[in-house]
Order: sequence, then C-alpha cells, then structure tokens
Amino acid sequence: MERVKTGIKGLDEMLNGGLLPETANLVEGAPGTGKSTLGMQFIYNGTTQFNEPGLIMTFEEFPQQYYHDAEAFGWNFRKLEQADKLRVIMTSPEVGKADLERVGGRIEALTREIGAKRILVDSLSHFERLTDDPAELRSILFSFINSLKREGLTSVLTRESQTFIGESEGGEEDAAFIVDSYIMLRYVEIESAIRKALLVLKLRGSDHAKDIRQFEITPTGIEVRSKFEGREGIMSGSPRRMADSFIEAFVTPGKKPKP
Amino acid sequence: MASNDLAARLMGDMAPQLLEFLKNKVNTFVKWDLVRFFHENPNTTDTAENIARYAGRDVATIEVEMDELVGAGVLSRQRIGDLTVYSLIEDPIMRTLVDQFILACDDRQFRVKAIYHIIRGMR
Repeated sequence: MERVKTGIKGLDEMLNGGLLPETANLVEGAPGTGKSTLGMQFIYNGTTQFNEPGLIMTFEEFPQQYYHDAEAFGWNFRKLEQADKLRVIMTSPEVGKADLERVGGRIEALTREIGAKRILVDSLSHFERLTDDPAELRSILFSFINSLKREGLTSVLTRESQTFIGESEGGEEDAAFIVDSYIMLRYVEIESAIRKALLVLKLRGSDHAKDIRQFEITPTGIEVRSKFEGREGIMSGSPRRMADSFIEAFVTPGKKPKP
Repeated sequence: MASNDLAARLMGDMAPQLLEFLKNKVNTFVKWDLVRFFHENPNTTDTAENIARYAGRDVATIEVEMDELVGAGVLSRQRIGDLTVYSLIEDPIMRTLVDQFILACDDRQFRVKAIYHIIRGMR
C-alpha cells in the first residue's frame, strides 16, 4: 500500500511505513510535547525528501514564529516559500473553514499553485471556540477534514490536551473518531525526570506498532526511540516498574509472594 | 515656504514609485502597520475583527483603514459566506511595490522621510 512517509526517524516504522495518502492524522499532546515540531518536520521532510510541497495553516500563530522555530532545526522555511514548495497561511478557524467550503477559495488556489500534497493544521483546538455544542463541533471538524481530503492533502492536525502529565479528561476523544490516525504525545515522569512518550493509538486501514516509545526532540528534529521496557502505566504519566506492580498486585502486606 | 522646501528636499531623492505609494496609499501610520502585517503574512485571509486582534488595534479603526487600502488597490476584500475578509491583493506589480516599500523601510533615512511625509499629510 502506498504510504506518505513522515521521514521522522522511528515514526514511519511505527506507522508500518508511513501515513496513508489523503488522510487526516491527529497529533495530540500537552503544550511543549512537540506536536508542532512533528508537524513542521512532516512538512519539511515532504518538501525536501519526497518532493511533496506543503501548506501550514496556523491559527493565531504568526508565520514568523514558524520560520524562527524551524530555523532552530536547520529548516529554512523562507527559502522553501521562495521556491514555491511551501506556503504558511495564518487565518482563523471560521475563515479557514469557510474558505475551504467554497469553490475557488484561497486555500484551494494555494494548493494548486504549489501542487501541495501535505498540510499541517496547527491547531484543531482553536475550532473549539466556534461552538460549545460537542455535536456541532464534531460536525464542523468532520466537514473541515473532508475538505482537506477533497483537495488531495494528507494532513497532520495538532490538538492540545488539557493535562500536562497523565491521561486526558474525557471529551477530547470526539475528534479521534473522525480522523484516520491518532498519535498521542505524553510527558512521563520516571525517577524524577520528565521524558516524552509517543503512542500510535489508531491507524485506520492498517496495522501499526502498539507499543509506547520514547522520543526526543533533537537539534535536527524529532527522533522516536526504543519502547519503555519493564514499566507499565506509561500513559498515566507516572509509570511503575513492572516488578513493583507485581508485588502491589499479588503480595499483601507482611506476606511474601508465593514461589 | 521653508517647510515646502524641506519637504521637497526630503522627498527629492525618494524613488518615484515609492513616493507615489507613500502619498496615495500608505498615508497613515495604521496603514503602514497594515502593509507591514500583510507583507509578513502574505497568505493571510481574515476578518477585520481578527486582523485587528493580530495587529493589536481597535477594529473600528482597522476596518476604515483596510477599506481605504482596498480602494488603493493594495488589499482585496471579499465575502465568504457571511464573512467579509481581507487579504493582500494578488497583483504581482502591487506585491512588488509592497516588497520594495518594506525593504526601503529598513533604511533609517527612508523611514524618517516617510514619517515626515505622513505627519505632514495628517495636518
């Protein structure tokens, strides 16, 4: 099956080769976990390694911020824009959505102008201010995602989770039903140090790695590394050694475990 | 008389197309800010309310100035559903002129002249 490679070390392997073409892919995590970095890397690698120009649609974040953040990884976004390989579009959710819904809109024009194949939407969380009704929000997101697919774009959609450490509160899962893949980024506390974990929770129509991997934001971007060995409860944010969990589960106070 | 002489001297060595741009299009500080904003965000399409928030200005002021920039051919205004949105005009000649103006603003002498001209025009 054809794949849209992220080019991110370790991630394509977890995705069984990459994302599926013309799909919507949610990357969810707390602030600072690396959602935007992952998205920017997906766009940068697309343009430079796979000849797939890209768009970045940002809500309330100035393009200069992206140029600056990308520069820190050695990714020259300005140069890519000058070469018609990238367009950074700052807009608002209501205008972006309305623009995509009409025929001959600006985003459609920019997609065709540079032959864009990928898009980063940063972030989906901003749509939440359009309505308080979860059903309506889901309908808005469904329509927005479908319009991206209609344009032939493979999208990475970021979304902020409400909690820094541990599992999210309920209610955030709604968007997970309407996207094709769902990648979770989490902070994990291990022996008084904060590390980062990545989990591919869903990849519609394909197998994928089920384990929770460590990842680092290196000077050249995100690198997904080995899985967390010998620990459980990673996504709770405070994993325990499996041996400790075993003792807790099977050994009552004052008794030794049965051989 | 003396003031006119000074103005003539200040404008004398300004490129004619930039002088015309300054006189007829960017004739207020708010417009100058807006031209800079759209130069830095050339793919932005948004409502006056949102652009006012991005620019940190009052929406009533921004809307009037953006409408004047539409009239001057610098911005375009269109309806998308029930939203009125503004963006930098697609015309490559105007975009080049905007680029030249912003580039020229890197030069302190040019900025001084431009500020003088705007203040003079506001009287």
